[in-house]
Amino acid sequence: MSWQTFILHFFTYGILLYSIILLICYVLIGAFSISETRSYLHKNSFTDYRMLASSTETPSMSILAPAYNEGANIIENVRSLLSLHYNNLEVIIINDGSKDDSLEKLINAYDLYKVDFFVNQQIKTKPVRGVYKSYNPVYRKLIVVDKVNGGKADALNVGVNIAKNDYFVCIDVDCVLEQDSLLKLAKPFLETTNQRVIAAGGVVRIANSCEIEGGRLVKVHLPKQFLPRIQTLEYIRAFLLSRMAWTKLNGLLLISGAFGAFDREIVINCGGYNTNTVGEDMELVVRMRRYMEERDEPYKVAFIPDPLCWTEAPSTFKILGRQRNRWTRGTIETLRFHKVMLFNPRYGILGMLSYPYWLFFEFLAPIIEFFGTIGMIIYCFTYAINWSAILIIVGVLCMGILYSIFAIMMEVLTYNQYRGRKDILRLVGVAILEPFVFHPFVVWSAIRGNIDLIRKNNSWGEMTRTGLATEKKG
Amino acid sequence: MLSYMYFKSVYDKKFDKWSLISDLLIRKAIFYDDEELEGDAMIPVTSRAEKLMSNKYFRKLLVNEITSAKKSITGISADNLKHLYVQQGLDKYALNNLSSGRWYIRAKAVQELTIMDMHEFVEQICLYTDDKNDLVRMEAQSALVHFNGFDGLHFLDTVTYPISNWQQIKLLQQLSNVSPSQIDMSPWFKSANSTVIVFALKLARTYQRFDLYYDIVSCLDHSDPTVRYEAIHCLKDIYTDETSDDLISRFLHEILKNQLAMIKVMETVGTDKDLLFLLDLLTYENDEIKIHAARALVQSNKDGMISLEKYSREENQSIKEIVMHIKGEIAA
Repeated sequence: MSWQTFILHFFTYGILLYSIILLICYVLIGAFSISETRSYLHKNSFTDYRMLASSTETPSMSILAPAYNEGANIIENVRSLLSLHYNNLEVIIINDGSKDDSLEKLINAYDLYKVDFFVNQQIKTKPVRGVYKSYNPVYRKLIVVDKVNGGKADALNVGVNIAKNDYFVCIDVDCVLEQDSLLKLAKPFLETTNQRVIAAGGVVRIANSCEIEGGRLVKVHLPKQFLPRIQTLEYIRAFLLSRMAWTKLNGLLLISGAFGAFDREIVINCGGYNTNTVGEDMELVVRMRRYMEERDEPYKVAFIPDPLCWTEAPSTFKILGRQRNRWTRGTIETLRFHKVMLFNPRYGILGMLSYPYWLFFEFLAPIIEFFGTIGMIIYCFTYAINWSAILIIVGVLCMGILYSIFAIMMEVLTYNQYRGRKDILRLVGVAILEPFVFHPFVVWSAIRGNIDLIRKNNSWGEMTRTGLATEKKG
Repeated sequence: MLSYMYFKSVYDKKFDKWSLISDLLIRKAIFYDDEELEGDAMIPVTSRAEKLMSNKYFRKLLVNEITSAKKSITGISADNLKHLYVQQGLDKYALNNLSSGRWYIRAKAVQELTIMDMHEFVEQICLYTDDKNDLVRMEAQSALVHFNGFDGLHFLDTVTYPISNWQQIKLLQQLSNVSPSQIDMSPWFKSANSTVIVFALKLARTYQRFDLYYDIVSCLDHSDPTVRYEAIHCLKDIYTDETSDDLISRFLHEILKNQLAMIKVMETVGTDKDLLFLLDLLTYENDEIKIHAARALVQSNKDGMISLEKYSREENQSIKEIVMHIKGEIAA
């Protein structure tokens, strides 16, 4: 056997083995997701959230919303947060040294004044310039913090220091929350008895083209633009299948930074958000889990499939590329910080299953795919093309499309947000197009993320948004 | 996918027709003349509806609509709905479902019988208050409280599985709709199930049961920190002149969370004699303890602010900032 043939076989069978394992993972994810979602929906049919809304026994919660140059929509966004249905709530807006007039706008709109506030630095942060409260009792839940710019993680840490409640919910200030989102998110913390729920997440959905009035979602529409529409499918797949399946196994590693609730005491004990990574949301969950595992304390990271938070998806390849680049860097950094857990039985499911899955199928997948594609192109040019390799690729593509269609089925059977038959067919169309149009771009962005990390480029990447307020009806 | 959408649209059409039939039936029952329903009188049911009763999907739809209507109405109309429910033998199906192997069917059956006020099945429901499935036992426990008010709480004597905070909130909510009763709660404070003690403490606090003061204080020495936390919290509402001494004597042995809760209670129960204790807390390393202590000092002593200001003049910057913080709170 010549060395060329050996490389060709190694390459072909290696990819075949990798693909088979990946497909098995997809099948298992689908099965676990069905089981967990069914169980959740059955349980939820017995739940009356109104009971929680009127109870004084609800756990106290603080919303932490970091804001950087959000002047365009900040007044509306804060109003939306203040109108959420929840009894024991404080809303903390952290102005992370914005260069625009966000703070002035907030001061004027909410009648704020600077208070003497002792910030208990349980987590070290950049200096706080001032804490503001409102003269108007209607806004008594609101606290605005002005601080020196230090990034999202640092702003959230300031929020954690200032919050006085047992749990905090971190959100992106430009997200639109469902009115009962906090009630739903509080439930896992209340109903679990034999484990400590250290964090809980909910489904984030794409709000592009949806009708939003006064900071509230009025009507759901499938995004009109191609990129947000394809991300809608991606989010359905990620949240309804993957995260539900990992929740079933109690192996969830990621709660979206756009919307998640955390046990404040555990977060402080863990040292808060890591300011040295752009994937602070995933890193915190992994560190919290590691903390609990090392103390042998029973715990759980909960996730609920209800659509609770709506966010604007990037609608240009430029912004999307930056976002995916950052996500890749965040994943690699987190995996690197906690590499001690890889196949380490001391960490249970976390070390034996969750971490290896993320390493081999989240971090390595785009790299293998990228080099696999380059290899295929080289083979094509050298006429060394192996038809069995082509068959594997076609098989993987078909399975990918089938997996997406299965995700759409799950959506239709559960929450069915896009009710029109046309919308469902459009989503199926997107599922067929995705591997050819969108996926290669995501792979390329991940490769650029790897390169940037090697070059030590730690920038967040500017995320210009058009603003959801522009999607207003009429 | 396409075939699913086709079958779904066919089912939706059928479902709409059934919905119409069940709506008519329910409307007929609600507005039925009550005098005609004496004895074995029957609410007239169309032959079409009668035929559909053997279809379990139609029955499910009808039961859902009857229970949903029953929840929102009272009086004669509600009685008529119950009459229709029994007349169509739906109670028998629910009773059968109680022994189903699937937990959600058992739980649904308990919920259904509760909403329909089927008092005659209380004994059967009682068997499920310590079911291994959390939803089934939650529904059964709620059912007993629904039927018997405070007396329904006697499942607490025997329950071995934990009662979640969610369930505790639900039970408290249900109890808020019935008139308070001086039920004997002392045995629950000695339960081997920590969550029963926590719930008893919540009940004592909610219903201001001063007669249980010593039971509450005994919980301060419980091995479970959650019980101790709830007991501390309870003493904020149920206290005597001895309460601050009870708390201070246990302060050093407590975990941080409970120490903070104790200082918070001192805001209410503390007196001038506790001044030295609170001033001593200002020397602690932990800033959270200092803030809580400063607040308690000001709230519980008439000369608290003067003592705090005097202390801050002699101490470091963080105490000065804390004093400013407390002053700001008072001004607000």
